[in-house]
Amino acid sequence: MRRAVTLFSTLVLATTLLAAPGAFAPARAQNPITQDGQNPMGAKPTADSVNEEFLFKNADKITGRVSIPDRKSANLIQPQGREYRAFRESWLPWIGGLGILGMIAALAGFFLWRGRILTDDTQESGRKILRFNAFERFAHWMTATCFIILSLSGLNYIFGKRLLMPLIGPEAFGSLAQWAKYSHVYLAWPFMLGVVIMVAVWVKDNIPNRIDWAWIKAGGGFLGKGHPHAERFNAGQKGVFWMVAGFGAAMGVTGLMMLFPFTVLDINGMQVMQVIHALIGVAFIVGILAHIYIGTLGMKGAYDAMGSGEVDLAWARAHHDLWVEKQQAKTASGPQLTGRHPAPAE
Amino acid sequence: MARMKFLCDADRCIECNACVTACKNEHEVPWGINRRRVVTLNDGKPGERSVSMACMHCTDAPCAAVCPVNCFYTTADAVVLHSKDICIGCGYCFYACPFGAPQYPRVGNFGSRGKMDKCTYCSGGPEADFSVAEYEKYGSNRLAEGKLPLCAEMCSTKALLAGDGEMIAEIYKQRVVKRGYGSGAWGWKTAYRETVAI
Amino acid sequence: MLTKRKSGAASRTKHQAVAAGLAAGMLDRRGFLRKSGLAAGALAAAGSLQLGSVRQARAAGSSAVGPETVIKKNVCTHCSVGCTVTAEVVNGVWVGQEPSYASPINRGTHCAKGAAIRELVSSDRRLKYPMKLVAGQWQRISWDQAIDEIGDKLQAIREKNGADSVYWLGSAKFTNEAAYLMRKFGAFWGTNSVDHQARICHSTTVAGVANTWGYGAQTNSYNDIRNAKTMIILGGNPAEAHPVSMQHVLSGKEINRANMIVIDPRFTRTAAHATEYVRIRSGTDIPVVWGILWHIFQNGWEDKEFISQRVYAMDDVRKEVAKWTPEEVERVSGVPGEQLKRVAEKFAKEKPATLIWCMGATQHTVGTANVRALCILCLATGNVGKPGTGANIFRGHTNVQGATDLGLDVTSLPLYYGLVEGGWRHWARVWDVPYEWLQSRFDEVPATAGRKARTRKENMEAPGITSTRWFDAVNLPPEQIDQRSPLKAFMVFGHGGNTVTRLPEAIEGMNKLELLVVADPHPTTFAALDARQDNTYLLPICTSLEMDGSRTASNRSIQWGEQIVQPAFESKNDYEVLYRLATKLGFAETLFKNIKIENNVPSAEDLLREINRGGWSTGYCGQSPERLKAHMRNQAKFDLITLRAPKDDPEVGGDYYGLPWPCWGKPELRHPGSAILYNTSLHVKDGGSTFRARFGTERNGETLLAENSFTKGSDLTDGYPEFTFGVFKKLGWDKDLTADELATILKIGGEKPETVSWATDLSGGIQRVCLDHGVIPFGNGKARANAWNLPDPVPVHREPIYTPRPDLVAKYPTRPDERQFRMPNIGFSVQKSAVERNVARDFPIILTSGRLVEYEGGGEETRSNPWLAELQQDMFVEINTGDASERGIKDGQFVWVTGAENSSKARMKALVTDRVGKGVAFMPFHFSGWYEGKDMRDFYPKGTDPVVLGESSNSVTTYGFDPVTGMQETKCTLCQIKAA
Repeated sequence: MRRAVTLFSTLVLATTLLAAPGAFAPARAQNPITQDGQNPMGAKPTADSVNEEFLFKNADKITGRVSIPDRKSANLIQPQGREYRAFRESWLPWIGGLGILGMIAALAGFFLWRGRILTDDTQESGRKILRFNAFERFAHWMTATCFIILSLSGLNYIFGKRLLMPLIGPEAFGSLAQWAKYSHVYLAWPFMLGVVIMVAVWVKDNIPNRIDWAWIKAGGGFLGKGHPHAERFNAGQKGVFWMVAGFGAAMGVTGLMMLFPFTVLDINGMQVMQVIHALIGVAFIVGILAHIYIGTLGMKGAYDAMGSGEVDLAWARAHHDLWVEKQQAKTASGPQLTGRHPAPAE
Repeated sequence: MARMKFLCDADRCIECNACVTACKNEHEVPWGINRRRVVTLNDGKPGERSVSMACMHCTDAPCAAVCPVNCFYTTADAVVLHSKDICIGCGYCFYACPFGAPQYPRVGNFGSRGKMDKCTYCSGGPEADFSVAEYEKYGSNRLAEGKLPLCAEMCSTKALLAGDGEMIAEIYKQRVVKRGYGSGAWGWKTAYRETVAI
Repeated sequence: MLTKRKSGAASRTKHQAVAAGLAAGMLDRRGFLRKSGLAAGALAAAGSLQLGSVRQARAAGSSAVGPETVIKKNVCTHCSVGCTVTAEVVNGVWVGQEPSYASPINRGTHCAKGAAIRELVSSDRRLKYPMKLVAGQWQRISWDQAIDEIGDKLQAIREKNGADSVYWLGSAKFTNEAAYLMRKFGAFWGTNSVDHQARICHSTTVAGVANTWGYGAQTNSYNDIRNAKTMIILGGNPAEAHPVSMQHVLSGKEINRANMIVIDPRFTRTAAHATEYVRIRSGTDIPVVWGILWHIFQNGWEDKEFISQRVYAMDDVRKEVAKWTPEEVERVSGVPGEQLKRVAEKFAKEKPATLIWCMGATQHTVGTANVRALCILCLATGNVGKPGTGANIFRGHTNVQGATDLGLDVTSLPLYYGLVEGGWRHWARVWDVPYEWLQSRFDEVPATAGRKARTRKENMEAPGITSTRWFDAVNLPPEQIDQRSPLKAFMVFGHGGNTVTRLPEAIEGMNKLELLVVADPHPTTFAALDARQDNTYLLPICTSLEMDGSRTASNRSIQWGEQIVQPAFESKNDYEVLYRLATKLGFAETLFKNIKIENNVPSAEDLLREINRGGWSTGYCGQSPERLKAHMRNQAKFDLITLRAPKDDPEVGGDYYGLPWPCWGKPELRHPGSAILYNTSLHVKDGGSTFRARFGTERNGETLLAENSFTKGSDLTDGYPEFTFGVFKKLGWDKDLTADELATILKIGGEKPETVSWATDLSGGIQRVCLDHGVIPFGNGKARANAWNLPDPVPVHREPIYTPRPDLVAKYPTRPDERQFRMPNIGFSVQKSAVERNVARDFPIILTSGRLVEYEGGGEETRSNPWLAELQQDMFVEINTGDASERGIKDGQFVWVTGAENSSKARMKALVTDRVGKGVAFMPFHFSGWYEGKDMRDFYPKGTDPVVLGESSNSVTTYGFDPVTGMQETKCTLCQIKAA
């Protein structure tokens, strides 16, 4: 027999019906008994009773009818939690731990090998060009701040009980985790907003093109001397952008599913959402670690772009030559020179 | 020490829901929280059976394993309890639980679903036995009084058995031998990795 | 990591400890629970308030004496099984419920309702103070004002329209004492229109069973079912209606590997546990039973010895049964012959076999005939009067048996004394009032519409109006109602308004009443139906958990319930309300002549003692309050199966639990009660008895007395008639009477002492001497297979009024129109018209109804209990998967159910299921508060609306009444269902 879940409507009975159209033998209009002389209900209800083994052969969980409106409660036994548990407790800490530590190690290695990427001081023009206006920076930093707290509170779900709890004791950890959870849940909203804004503002500058290919082939200037051509965003930055857009969307969607559990999904869907959220979360953190590295420690001058919003014209020429050209062409009075009057964005 | 378990003899269970309301009564469980429920399988068909289900107090409980704040603990009687002071209402235990036992006061997760609530095997929580705080958070503590969970004690047909696992398995075995049929110890394989061999 | 402290204060119970904490915090349990709410936020707030007090209590350590936990025992008010409720009371607050392991009936267990019963007492949805309707608005009034105004209005109505214009509706949830008091009250008021829920549940059982073998009650007990090797449950769903009884049923099934056969149109939760399920068409019980008997007679499986010794006129049945060949049975009922043969063989051969039935059998226009057929099936197979056999009739409410016994019935006085001069004189003696005064209270009825006039005496002996048709007695033209005036006032005690069929017409009746008084813990449906503007009163009554008194379980065991807590809010118990009303009406003095009154509350013990003094006919004479209380104290001593205590016990030695009636003689005689009726294998002093010689000694030259059958140790070794002083004199047994007994008999008898019988002898001497001679006071008769005084002496099949098989009506029509209970019963005309209009074409689905485990009766009380209400939050109709798909109806969606009369319609959710067969729909009957799709919540007095409301099944039920008892047809009508 196959079970088909019928549409649940708000109250009466959470239901799963046995949908077996063939089971309803044609009956005389006013007579409930079939004509073949057999009682459709079967003669011996006791003898034919269902059992666990049989039901598990036909479905991966045992579902019946309950009178309370909570549809979830109609599931009697749903062993799928095992896989979820195995992932969460056996795999996730390793994936997360290795991923994050691995990235930190890689960055450290890179730093040791390559050191801080510097611009030639002598070439510094002393003139500044506005790279990100106030709104862009606000969006970035709002998202970034949220991201950091979300990451830490998110990692707390995986590592808190392993690392923090033994250190500070269950009570303190309990309160901390509670606040972490609140912050995770509430900061998700500004984070999602920030991602949306950044995508909206920057997407037109992040469409991949042939220049990016050349940039990648040239190693992005990390490996050799000299800088390949780049527009407002180079291929690496575009990568970060699309990672944030993609992972942000995925985290947002899976997160929303968890913020409103069971509104759309059933228990298995919830488990899957949890898994996706955790995996992408870890990957996101790993990716952003690299982004942070390049934006701060890894490259001199890069931080200014998001810090003050203005970068040295020479730095800009080196890293984003095509963009600088375009900016200069746009204004008759040459590049937007330093001053307390930033031009309006575009 | 006893290893406390539940066993629902589905050949006795008539879905009278006494276990459900006994639980509500004993612990003043609010509307919307169902520490115990009765599920009817094969409804309206021959072989229809009803099974009363709550937290089975699993061996190596999945809820405890996945809890990000380790708020679960297992008592000497093998009852799986949790601390509402530590619980953050994340809902992971519900995702892991094979029996749908964890309950939350609020439907959405936005802000908080509230502290998780579940069957305590009528044995309270980490607070002092019989304290108001314990009663408030977890309900009454019958086990400490030497009594068994009220759901099983009040079961109309004595279908729901509670007590030491070996003893209730023995009772069930004798019933099956006497009457010649039995649909098995529902959920035991999943909860205890064993079943009642007849 | 976290660990659980297990040492703790083991000496203190949890309630002491928790209560100590609460007391110090000056909060009652409910108050602090409200704060708890299991929510994170609430904990902090509550914590600051509570922690100090907990610490205080803990600091004082084990020496701190918490408030005492007092254990009180009462009886669950939700069904007739009679489960003991054990309450833990601290400081006058009912704080917890413990399993009642000592009770041999429930052995600690409960169903959903019993396990949630504590909430009834503390429910904040109870009616809190008396209220009256003023221009459509509810107003709070005082008790004094309420009683004053009601009393004045009653007097005015009485003066203008006569005593019969007021209807007194009592309750199956009354204690025995309250039921008795209300019947007595009705007599003092001067009317026989005093009724209660038995009318709509087992009135046909009482009539059918009593007319077969003597008494209208379950012959054996729930516990005794453990002895059965075969059981048939017909038209009953004990898994939902009597869940605790299933403990005994399923144990019997398991221990004896018994056959459990369920015969029902619906595959119920009970059927799920059956060894065989027989699906029948609603309303074809007689064809099915005759179909079973056909195989029994055909194969000679009947118990010939039993029939010849103890049954009258079985041959008349054979003639009728011969018509019901397997083919005809299948044509009419749909049940294949082979299956019935199997059932027949098991019931006749795998003995002892018992027959269990409920409202599926009784709530029909042929209810009494159904019951009679079932009794005859027991008789033919010799399955009555022995352990493991019998007609195990599961009654409905907690005390429906007791309330019936005590005369909340329009055809009898307490304990089945008839409405005849002898009966009235008996009770006049017990009540110590002149018979003539009672008579003077009744109306004279003038001649109307060709009917003769009735004197007061004749009116006093005329059955009243049945509760199923109270509104007909308001609505019909006055000349059709055979009393001085149609009904003007309706006094409803503990009875829902949604329990009678044809709700649209009931609403019309409500509208026309001059006075409506609802005395109940809840406002009931009467308050929610938008039918009235004024002259409507609600009186808050406490539950029987808040009062003392006895209740009779279905198995006739009487259990004493002690008051658990004081009545909640301003509610008062039934005794007090009737006392206050009687005081206002001016007959309290005589009504309570021998009853002690304390603070306006009559003593329950004294009321029971008065019942004992007059209850000879049914053996309600030996169950003194002292004995009943001793039983509650010694519950654990009674055997699980026989219900008997060991003979050597000082308090209850040899007694059956609850002294199941008949319990002969005065309490001092210590008769043990009768656990199994008509059991000749026991001495009468051990509860043995015979079929009652109630219908004379001879008919058409054939004896009506038993032949070669008698109880163990009987001095008389053949049938004998019932005992009178005259019979005693013939036997020379009058010499065994004491001087006092003789004096009483002579005083009662006056000029004709020979006529003083076992039932009217207030001294109890006749019963005492009978027991000494090993004979049963009521005589040793035969059970009647032919009950010549009934409309159908041998049951015949009659199609339901609204039948899905109009083709069968010509052959099996319902009974002709006739007058019953002061009104016309025009079932035949209605059926004829329905066939002519081909109603079955427009309304092709059979509609039947029944119980849900979570709710009871009209449901107001249980739907107000959130623990129960949460489990069933919507009214629904069960519809077969095939019918649903034909109509495009999905599970859980709203549908309109339309009925065949009154253009009735009801909106509810569809539950698509194969529990019901194709062409059948099922509705639970507990809902109300919606009407024709409209939510009536605002009509309840504020704060008293039940948690869950829904459309009443009776919105769409139709005409049809049993000719013997006025039972309504709720189990078989027609409807149509379409998606809403």
